[in-house]
Amino acid sequence: MLTRWAHRHAQWLFPAPAVLLVAVLIVYPIAYTGWMSFHEWSASSLSPPRFVGAANYTKILVGDARFREAVGRTIYFTLVAVAAETLLGVAMALLFNREFWGRGLLRTLAILPMVATPTAIALVFVMMYHPTLGVANYVLSVVGLAPFRWTYSSQTALYALALVDIWQWTPLIMLIALAGLASLPREPYEAARLDGASPLQAFWHITLPLLRPALVVAILFRAIDALKTFDIIFVMTQGGPANASETINILLFNQAFSYFNMGYAASMAVALFALVMGASLLLIKVRRSTTW
Amino acid sequence: MTARRSTRRTFLKTVAAAAAAGPFVSTPARAQGFTWKRFQGKELFLLLTKHPFIEVLEKHIPEFESLSGMKVKWETLPEIQARQKMTVEMTANSGGIDAFFTSLHVEKKRFWKAGWYHPLNKFLDDKSLTSPEFDWNDFTPGAKAGVTQPDGSISALAAFVDANVFFYRKDLFGPKGLTPPKTLADLEPLVQKLHAPPSTYGIVLRGLKNANATQYPTILFPMGGTYLKDGKAVLDSKEQVAALDLYTKLLRQYAPPGVVNFNWYECSASFMQGQVAIYMDGVNFASQFEDAAKSKVVGKIGYAVLPSGPGGHFSPIYITGMAVNAQSRNKEAAYLFTQWATSKPNMVHELMAGVGVGRTSTWDNPEVKAKPKMPADWYQAYQASLKIGRQGLPEIVGVTEYRDIIGVAIQKAIEGAPPAQVLAQAQKDFQDLLNRTEN
Repeated sequence: MLTRWAHRHAQWLFPAPAVLLVAVLIVYPIAYTGWMSFHEWSASSLSPPRFVGAANYTKILVGDARFREAVGRTIYFTLVAVAAETLLGVAMALLFNREFWGRGLLRTLAILPMVATPTAIALVFVMMYHPTLGVANYVLSVVGLAPFRWTYSSQTALYALALVDIWQWTPLIMLIALAGLASLPREPYEAARLDGASPLQAFWHITLPLLRPALVVAILFRAIDALKTFDIIFVMTQGGPANASETINILLFNQAFSYFNMGYAASMAVALFALVMGASLLLIKVRRSTTW
Repeated sequence: MTARRSTRRTFLKTVAAAAAAGPFVSTPARAQGFTWKRFQGKELFLLLTKHPFIEVLEKHIPEFESLSGMKVKWETLPEIQARQKMTVEMTANSGGIDAFFTSLHVEKKRFWKAGWYHPLNKFLDDKSLTSPEFDWNDFTPGAKAGVTQPDGSISALAAFVDANVFFYRKDLFGPKGLTPPKTLADLEPLVQKLHAPPSTYGIVLRGLKNANATQYPTILFPMGGTYLKDGKAVLDSKEQVAALDLYTKLLRQYAPPGVVNFNWYECSASFMQGQVAIYMDGVNFASQFEDAAKSKVVGKIGYAVLPSGPGGHFSPIYITGMAVNAQSRNKEAAYLFTQWATSKPNMVHELMAGVGVGRTSTWDNPEVKAKPKMPADWYQAYQASLKIGRQGLPEIVGVTEYRDIIGVAIQKAIEGAPPAQVLAQAQKDFQDLLNRTEN
């Protein structure tokens, strides 16, 4: 009896464990965060969460200047980091796409930063950035430049952090672009050469358009990651000096685990989710459309 | 009474005394005399924090196991991660943690309001649970106040008491005939005389937000400033403005470049590299300064009490303690551990390793005096600072948020904003915070 029932319902039965797992591990936390974002709760075991309606969202949208600044900073950080990574990554891919002696070794070395743990990298950079004891300023002094404040000034902190991100993640764009380059057809280039196109024209009118789908995927990956950057900022500046490098993620971490404003932090998490989702949809749309 | 594995004479004495007290003292509680073995066979789980006090404690936990016959398991995490884990465990009501190490200067009121500390008052009064050797009154007044809540409940037993002191380079002071400042008014002229960049900077103090909030009172308190007056924020008082002005002027003019984002790590690094003449911070950093593997200035550091000021003479103190989890299923057994961890013999271990404690008897202990690990003026400065100790941070629920508020104000002022202006904003934010959380 049971086997016949099982047989008939196999299409539900077999995926059930996986569906259940997804529900528990993914859907539940998201739903819980959404639910929490309409409450006020200080993680107390004496007083339960209190329903406050959309108050948290009103505060985010109109009341909280610190949050608005964090949003702007998050987007700016992402733009700076991802733009630099894309430019450098494509340049490196073009370089490594040529045959030269030692290419394999250099290519392997170039992707090493990607494999390292962000926290470890951050700690190393903290030491390198130290204004008087760090190697970064020593190198600058050797080539005759004035010392720089790096993460130790509110004017430069965000850029110094973006530099770490660029150092670590340019190889990812390079790898994806390299794979894209390897799959390009030869014919268009031959045709272009016959028509008298310069190498630059060939790059602009053939390589880039053909590479675009791969590049958009690479940028999408990086943009999602950069919007969510947490570890290097947390380790290196904790959002400072003042709030000069406080992104949404750092602020919401502070709200949740330093200030214990669980509901408010949840509403920020939802906002960050919306931002990442929006950016992704935009990029996917760009990928499908025919013009840049 | 057999010796078991424990080699500590002191413990044996305690155990012997407890065992002896049982049969011979004729008190009503005789049948339930104190014994460490009461919960023999139980297993405890502790949540500990990376901290010098814990490093010493961990080495001696096996002694507690043989003393009590209990099995102890523990996890040691960095402070912030430990607090996160605590939050998760407590909100899940798991009851898995029996005792935990708590940074009272941050967690005291928040954890109390959340109901996470088990009040220890009844346990302390219970002669069958508290060893006659324990002696609550041996703790310094500052340490006792630090673990006691507004309603009188005792949330933890004081373990490590940190005090801010004045570190200075004897080798730079000596040739110029300089001495540590007696008052705040002497401080800036002194710093100015020592300031000779880039080889030597006059002073370093923490600049990084949040972290700086624990050093700011080294100037604020003697200046006469406070955080609260009748429950209202007073971050915009004229004493506050004067204190912030001095604190940030010192850093802007006489500190190494980039000080605005210096945490204790960067501060002590530049001090240990010999770049700085004066540093005011937690007294426990001294053990690094005197460690030849880390420091270039071993033996060149002098230790003194902080300068006084128009508002009085204070040393900001920060207390960490051992607490019993209100959700634990073994509260009494956990209390035995808590009691052992802050017992007289254990505090002697701690101080002998250079970790300062809040028990008066420990500082006069002959063992400590016979084998001093630190220079004599370190002990003097520390002990004197405990006597003028005042809780360094406001005792409110939102301590961390307050630290960020004042921390940002300090950083902005270091970078050149007028102190009165940044404090006006801080005052507004702080009062908002109090309105939200203190009721």
